[in-house]
Amino acid sequence: MSREKLRQLGIDLPLFPTTSVGSFPKPDYLMKARADYAKELISRENLEAAERRATEFWIKTQDELGVDVLVDGEMYRGDMVAYFAEHMDGFEEGGLVRSYGNRYYHKPIIVGEIRWKKPITAEWWKYTQSLTKRPVKGMLTGPYTVMDWSFNEYYPDRRAVCLALAKEIRKEVAALIQAGAKIIQIDEPASSVRPEELPLIVDSMRVVTEGQPAYFISHLCYGAFETIYPGMLDLAVDNLDLEMSNSGLDMLALFKKHRYTKDISFGVVDVHSHVVEKESVVAERLRKALEVIPKGALWVDPDCGLKTRTVEEAVEKMKTLVAAARALRN
Amino acid sequence: MELILANHSSFPRIGDSADLQLLRRTIGQFEKGQKGPADLRAAEDRMVELALQEQAEAGLDLVTDGLIRWYDPISHLAGKLAGARINGLLRFFDTNCYFRQPVIEARLERNGPLVVEEFEFARRKTSRPLKAVLTGPLTLARHSIVGNGAEAGGAVVQKLVEEYAEALALEVRALAAAGAPLIQIEEPVLLRHPEDLPLARKCLETFSARKGAAQLGLAVYFGDPGPVYDRLQALPVDMLVLDFTYSRGLADRVAASCSDKILGLGLVDGRNSKLERPETVAGEVERIARGARAGRIHLTTSSGLEYLPRDRAVLKLKLLTRIKDSLMRNAR
Repeated sequence: MSREKLRQLGIDLPLFPTTSVGSFPKPDYLMKARADYAKELISRENLEAAERRATEFWIKTQDELGVDVLVDGEMYRGDMVAYFAEHMDGFEEGGLVRSYGNRYYHKPIIVGEIRWKKPITAEWWKYTQSLTKRPVKGMLTGPYTVMDWSFNEYYPDRRAVCLALAKEIRKEVAALIQAGAKIIQIDEPASSVRPEELPLIVDSMRVVTEGQPAYFISHLCYGAFETIYPGMLDLAVDNLDLEMSNSGLDMLALFKKHRYTKDISFGVVDVHSHVVEKESVVAERLRKALEVIPKGALWVDPDCGLKTRTVEEAVEKMKTLVAAARALRN
Repeated sequence: MELILANHSSFPRIGDSADLQLLRRTIGQFEKGQKGPADLRAAEDRMVELALQEQAEAGLDLVTDGLIRWYDPISHLAGKLAGARINGLLRFFDTNCYFRQPVIEARLERNGPLVVEEFEFARRKTSRPLKAVLTGPLTLARHSIVGNGAEAGGAVVQKLVEEYAEALALEVRALAAAGAPLIQIEEPVLLRHPEDLPLARKCLETFSARKGAAQLGLAVYFGDPGPVYDRLQALPVDMLVLDFTYSRGLADRVAASCSDKILGLGLVDGRNSKLERPETVAGEVERIARGARAGRIHLTTSSGLEYLPRDRAVLKLKLLTRIKDSLMRNAR
């Protein structure tokens, strides 16, 4: 069904399409440029030049590796929520809060009515797509995750925030489609934090995607997804991108109990490990996936964004998964 | 009624100014080999002192060391026990904060102090009564994994809980001997796994037997304690600390039941930056206080404050003082 949708959108993908979740590591020169820009040592133009150079590197790399559906690597983003908060009305930057250990981030604060002002990612998408003939995914963070990872000082409750965000993020989806994007990924990694709120996640995703002519993927990761399965199949997207290898493929047992009904981007390499998986390990994971998932529905990718790996590790991990997918096709 | 303004547990270990980023900077340098263990310890000490100072300046009657030295609520304790190895990151409840998961490879044993030295340091640095905080055995066990890769569940959980409880009981005794007036056991997992309440009772009985002159508190949060409130009241602790942010009806529920225990009222949201109206919270405190037979209430936040930016955390603590002021005005 979804393959047919892709064809109608003019996209013909091989069996077991390969892709990446979103982020790639930022090269050293970009890290330095970001630090220099924060200290007002370089101009915005200088920073953007470094971001474009890094984006070009990752597009060329994915093309050379033979990845089927490309990502821009998020060279222009720091945090996946703060980036969108910075570009919409209604938010202000909060102080630092801890993510883990010695890692901190500026958690946005919702202080007014959330409003989409103008396209946020569409220009980046157009630029990135101009660098390759292969399809590039549009990449957004979903309303539930933006809501959950922000402080709320304006709306009466979580539902009101989430639905307000959904209405505005829908405009960004439309902007991406207008720019030419056919495949759009909406990340909702927070989706399992409160299983009782699954209906809200479903409602808000419907607001974002319903009636919009694109193939939609939603990336969910590092949560207790057994608590929201099979309900999460109600998400109004074509493909769920799941972190599978980190959790020992344990979701497959659930898929056996209750049939999995969408396409799946099946995470086959661990993004938190320096060790590059052997092709045989990835192949075995895919073999197990095919015991449960129809072959036409199986996509292949890493568990999550690769930004925490080194450039070399990220490239090697992508190389391995592409090789394993190709071997399976043959 | 005696109203005590108390910090719940954690306090931010970073702020926006350079001096408040001392610990982050030092850890970064330590990891690159540019600073040694003594530098790291000195940075932690300094941030503990600042946390104590800010709590005192906010007007708190009962402070904590802010858990400044804790990597997270799980691995800071489990990582010091023989038999546990610390592994990868997992999300801590419904926060966007991650902990490192203990892998249990052998019988857990306490071979040395877990937090008592941290408590003793902080006690020397403040004139205010200092609360000691320990993550409870159930929360530790439910966030651990056994060495063969299986998630902890059923009989495995029970065994792990018992081993964690034995180790923590020694720490409870050490904290009591060090002069802790109140030892708060944090068991947020009880609200997700109420079936663990009988196990919790056993653990708390063990701790109660070792608490000496200290009072024993149980803190539950990240969920609605309403459905298990009566069962929490039956546990062998002196004090219950409750998160009121998950249920609008909890204040009515608690007000309607006459508590024989000291109540820790987490009426101020420790996870959202929005400041509550002092008069509104004061009204809830008054209602609950009417049925509190123990005659003592701790007013606090719904959870630790490490989920807030430092400036907002301080405002929340100052809000507690404003709520008390509002109550005093009403009482006149």
